[in-house]
Amino acid sequence: MTPILEVNDLTVTMKRPFRTLTALDRVTLTIGKGEVLGLVGESGAGKSLTGAAIVNLLVPPLRQTGGSIALAGRRIDTLSRDDMRKVRGREIGFIFQDPSTSLNPVLSIGHQLIETMMTHLPIGRDEARRRAIAWIDRIGIPEAERRLDQYPHEFSGGMRQRIVIALALCAEPSLVIADEPTTALDVSVQARVLQLLKDLHGETGVAMLLITHDLGVIAKMADRVAVLYTGRVVEIGPTSAILNSPHHHYTHGLMKATPTPNMQTQRLDAIPGSMPNLAAIPSGCSFHPRCPRSDATCRDHLPRLSGVESGFACWHPLSAGGTS
Amino acid sequence: MLRYFASRTFQAVIVLFIISLIGFALVANLGDPLAALLSPDATEAQRAELAASLNLNASFAERFLSFFGGLWRGDFGISYRTHEPVAHLIWDRLPATIELAFASLILTLVIGIPAGVHCGVHPKSMLSRAIMFSSIIGVTLPTFVAGILLILVFAVKLAWLPSFGRGGVVDLGFWKTGLLTASGWRALILPAITLSLFQVTFIIRMIRTQLLEVGQTEYIRFARARGLTESRVWYLHALKNTLLPVVTIIGLQLGNIIAFSVVTESVFAWPGVGLLFLQSIQSADIPVISIYLILIGAIFIIINLIVELTYPVIDPRVLRSR
Repeated sequence: MTPILEVNDLTVTMKRPFRTLTALDRVTLTIGKGEVLGLVGESGAGKSLTGAAIVNLLVPPLRQTGGSIALAGRRIDTLSRDDMRKVRGREIGFIFQDPSTSLNPVLSIGHQLIETMMTHLPIGRDEARRRAIAWIDRIGIPEAERRLDQYPHEFSGGMRQRIVIALALCAEPSLVIADEPTTALDVSVQARVLQLLKDLHGETGVAMLLITHDLGVIAKMADRVAVLYTGRVVEIGPTSAILNSPHHHYTHGLMKATPTPNMQTQRLDAIPGSMPNLAAIPSGCSFHPRCPRSDATCRDHLPRLSGVESGFACWHPLSAGGTS
Repeated sequence: MLRYFASRTFQAVIVLFIISLIGFALVANLGDPLAALLSPDATEAQRAELAASLNLNASFAERFLSFFGGLWRGDFGISYRTHEPVAHLIWDRLPATIELAFASLILTLVIGIPAGVHCGVHPKSMLSRAIMFSSIIGVTLPTFVAGILLILVFAVKLAWLPSFGRGGVVDLGFWKTGLLTASGWRALILPAITLSLFQVTFIIRMIRTQLLEVGQTEYIRFARARGLTESRVWYLHALKNTLLPVVTIIGLQLGNIIAFSVVTESVFAWPGVGLLFLQSIQSADIPVISIYLILIGAIFIIINLIVELTYPVIDPRVLRSR
């Protein structure tokens, strides 16, 4: 499988007055053509940062200081500002988390769709307008032609997120980064938006980096999963393998902390403690203070990921069945 | 839409009514019109006749209603100082003030908007730093000091421009304009700069702050993530979102320019309503003072009304909340 996206040893740091903090530490992951890679982890693990770094939209003082990012074999992290701008939207779409803030409130949704298509595709205004109407119809909003000239505040939250999805996909990118696409929505509309995303993925064959903390979303959507902890990939592999028999204790902890439909009376087990902040990342395996199985090795030595396609970074991995 | 317009207009009329009431309360309670208008040796019959013609014996409410009605007909009462109709005095002076105000407004917009946009888009460039630094001067320097400094340099030392008056004036019948003579234009330059100094710096700082704020929003990030060009992101997506407060402030500024031209007019002996107002205060000419206050109030209200009527064009969300 030829990867559409190859991220190699991506390192993002933030300069502080007396020290440099590492937000992403040698993150390595690949996404194949048409594949959906889920990216999970607690808040602050660096999930959104990974997405922003890929399209070079890091907010200073955050900066990429190492590694490489290649799209379909071409490095994109070294492109000029204007060349990178042409990659955004055209080759990599981006779906933002909160549809109530990501659409420009004073421009009609038709305007925003048409300008995005006309920026990237060699089409005229009439053709762009025709396609915009087709997109609104496609994402399941009735009376597309009339609604084209309406403004974001005239749509419900779920509709707005579907418009955001259309905006991310309208210039026909080969990869889309979806940053918590359903987190800001009501539970009742989450399923529909997710289904739309799945349908569009099936129709267009677009590859997807799906950033979420919701393992239910991962189970439904992702082919493979990467688990992020304190800016490091601690486990990566096929979704079913990761969800059914995780090797890393952190992944295992995440699973136990997630409710499933067939567990009515069981208590959820929270992972003890909380994720350290960037200024105080523990030595060795950064998960060791919270890990039930840690020892001196874990404290002193950083485990490396055992494989790029499928692997884990743990000195004492769990075998199948959840015991170490 | 129609309801929005109607409710805004209705509110404007109510405020205008209240301002007129306050203005009239001044006239009705301060000073003695009979003493001011009649010569000291006037007979009792003359006093009674004037009191009757001014309707002084009627109740406060009745007199206010006739005063308020008079405002709409252009009957503003009689000046205690010159014994001329106030309407005539004001109309004689108003063109000078209006021309000065618009000259400095145009100066403010032409300099302030581009400079403000530049400072907001490139906050760290050398030019932006220079603009922000020099704008501190504009904010802190009082208008009259700036005016006197300009006179000192350009009128006294260099003798390039006149230091007072309005220059040659052409009477168009309904409007006395200084814009048709070279000396009129020359005389306009220094007062217009003086009056716009504070406004320019204010506009620059506000547009900059607004743009910096809008630049942080998610929809600007999303516009970038869609690969839109930087110029489109700034000049369309960002600027349109800053327009609402900017238009509001520019409207209020125009009102301020007209109202606060009092100081500038006195520094440059500019024959406008501001100068008339100062003269009227010195001689306790209550009718002129109150009409001036009502006029300024009316100008503010009308500008504000126009500004509010443009809101729905800029931001369609304005109509939703009503």
